[in-house]
Amino acid sequence: MRAMFHDWPGLALKSFYWLFVLYLFLPLSLMVAVSFKDASFISFPLGNLTIDWYAKVIQDKQFLDACLYTIMIAAATTAIATVIGVWIAMLIGSLRGAAQYVAFAVACLPAVVPGMISAISLRIFITTIDLPTGTVAIILGHVVHAVPFVVVMVLTRLRSMPGNLVDAARDLGADSIVTFFRVTLPYLGPAIFGGMIFCLLLSSDDFVRTFFLGGYRPTLPMLIFARVQSGMSPEINVMATLVLVVTAVVGLYAEYLTRRSRIR
Amino acid sequence: MQPVVQFENIRKSFGSFVAVDNLNLNIERGKFVTLLGPSGCGKSTTLRMLGGFETPTEGRILLSGRDVTMVPPNRRNVNIVFQDYALFPHMSVAKNIAFGLELKGVDNRQIQRRVSELLELVQLQDFAGRLPSELSGGQRQRVALMRALAPDPDVLLLDEPLSALDAKLRQTMQIELKAIQEQTGKTFMFVTHDQEEALTMSDTIVVMNNGRIEQMGDPATLYKRPGSAFVATFLGETNLLHSDVVGTDAGEAAVRWNGMTIRASAGALSPKAGDAIYVVLRPEAIQCSAQEPGVANRVKGRIRQRVFKGNHTSLKVEIGEGHLLNALVHPSEVEGLSRDDIWVGWSSEATTLIPARNAA
Repeated sequence: MRAMFHDWPGLALKSFYWLFVLYLFLPLSLMVAVSFKDASFISFPLGNLTIDWYAKVIQDKQFLDACLYTIMIAAATTAIATVIGVWIAMLIGSLRGAAQYVAFAVACLPAVVPGMISAISLRIFITTIDLPTGTVAIILGHVVHAVPFVVVMVLTRLRSMPGNLVDAARDLGADSIVTFFRVTLPYLGPAIFGGMIFCLLLSSDDFVRTFFLGGYRPTLPMLIFARVQSGMSPEINVMATLVLVVTAVVGLYAEYLTRRSRIR
Repeated sequence: MQPVVQFENIRKSFGSFVAVDNLNLNIERGKFVTLLGPSGCGKSTTLRMLGGFETPTEGRILLSGRDVTMVPPNRRNVNIVFQDYALFPHMSVAKNIAFGLELKGVDNRQIQRRVSELLELVQLQDFAGRLPSELSGGQRQRVALMRALAPDPDVLLLDEPLSALDAKLRQTMQIELKAIQEQTGKTFMFVTHDQEEALTMSDTIVVMNNGRIEQMGDPATLYKRPGSAFVATFLGETNLLHSDVVGTDAGEAAVRWNGMTIRASAGALSPKAGDAIYVVLRPEAIQCSAQEPGVANRVKGRIRQRVFKGNHTSLKVEIGEGHLLNALVHPSEVEGLSRDDIWVGWSSEATTLIPARNAA
């Protein structure tokens, strides 16, 4: 016991960590707990538990449609942003000196421009070119935001690639296109996969850009926002819990896969 | 017979730095040729030019009689074993070896046959499905070698491939490389800064310095009859005695060094009295004894340092005031010798003369 108090810096370190974990998980646990509450308003104690709210949400056409729409936009965003991101990373990787830094800074810019500013500017832009708000405009906005994350992840991996792998492929008879698809791309694989997961999460979570660029069909964050405005109910908790679980599973799975490939 | 590789008046400069200068070199088919030299001597640049990764500033390169000076690496029939192997990390051993064959459009059955044949050659049959990261350094080395041999290149280029291995493994691999070269009958062009590797494996050693060829020849000739002070000191241990010619007589020269007269066979040189000259005296050519030896050159000396190395003893013997000779003798030769009073001697044929203007 005395020894434990002697090590008070270590103890403080651990205590603050656990405080942080509490701070992180308490609101989430409350949200999940209330989703099982047997009443139509949010209060404590919980009383009887039920999964009625889940049954109701799963049969909610609006909710299912919003899920589908969100997934569709996320998939399109991911596909486009990954291609553009890998392309830009390869370009930056081939540049030397100042050009490299400038190109990198420009590629990263969309990640640091505040969401609100980016959303307004894109809204003005699509109005100028007569593009209607809706699916295409949302995807456009999400892609701009997602590309820098792909670029950074892919470029980091690219820089760790031994330069003579490309030389070896060329030496064995591969032209530059075959070399890219058979050697460079597989090497970048884990980074590209990580970048894609990031794109999916960024897009499906985005509210501000979607709000400014979207049409009448709501994505999941927009639907939840609209429901919250008409009053909190355990149904919202259910939706949020479902999103939380799906996101956590995808994130952890991605982490597991990239970790495994990194060990190799 | 036509040489498989011809470098004609090759010059390569990077900005104002001349990496390779006026290189003319023919490599005969089926030979193990080593480019040997210190770092920055142009040996790796020469290899990369033959591989197609550098373009000569001037001159041309012929491969099996065809001018390949401007041909990109993927369209010339040479393959490189890279310094750190450069195995594709996401492909199995078999896939790595098959890579070059697939790109050549060889059909699948033949690829499989060739891959298992090559794996057998280096006893890695059981490792076909492994990833490179699951192999030891020596195994990776062998896979890299087989991958480069698989497409049947005119010349196999090896860029210091043993430098990443530990000393013991390096020695094993030297013997193995030479055996594989003899078994396959391939032309090997090997680049190294390690004189021991060059001496062990090569049919021909090309010694390079400052972008130029210093001397080329078979290992024994280069070792016994170095043509310049640079070659003499770079290839093996040597005593380089800066002397003056005092006279010549029937193919022998008498030179003056450190107050003593040395008789040395002149070889192809015809030195004149008054010429400055280097005498190359290998440490193992020196005998040590208590009594005066019956050889042409003999002098009294004092042992300054004695290091027992198992199968030989290495000595530093002081001659006159402050001139040290390195000697390598059998341990039994120095048993019971007094430190302060010994005879050292060597025959006149044991030395080589080099004109001093060739000094490095």
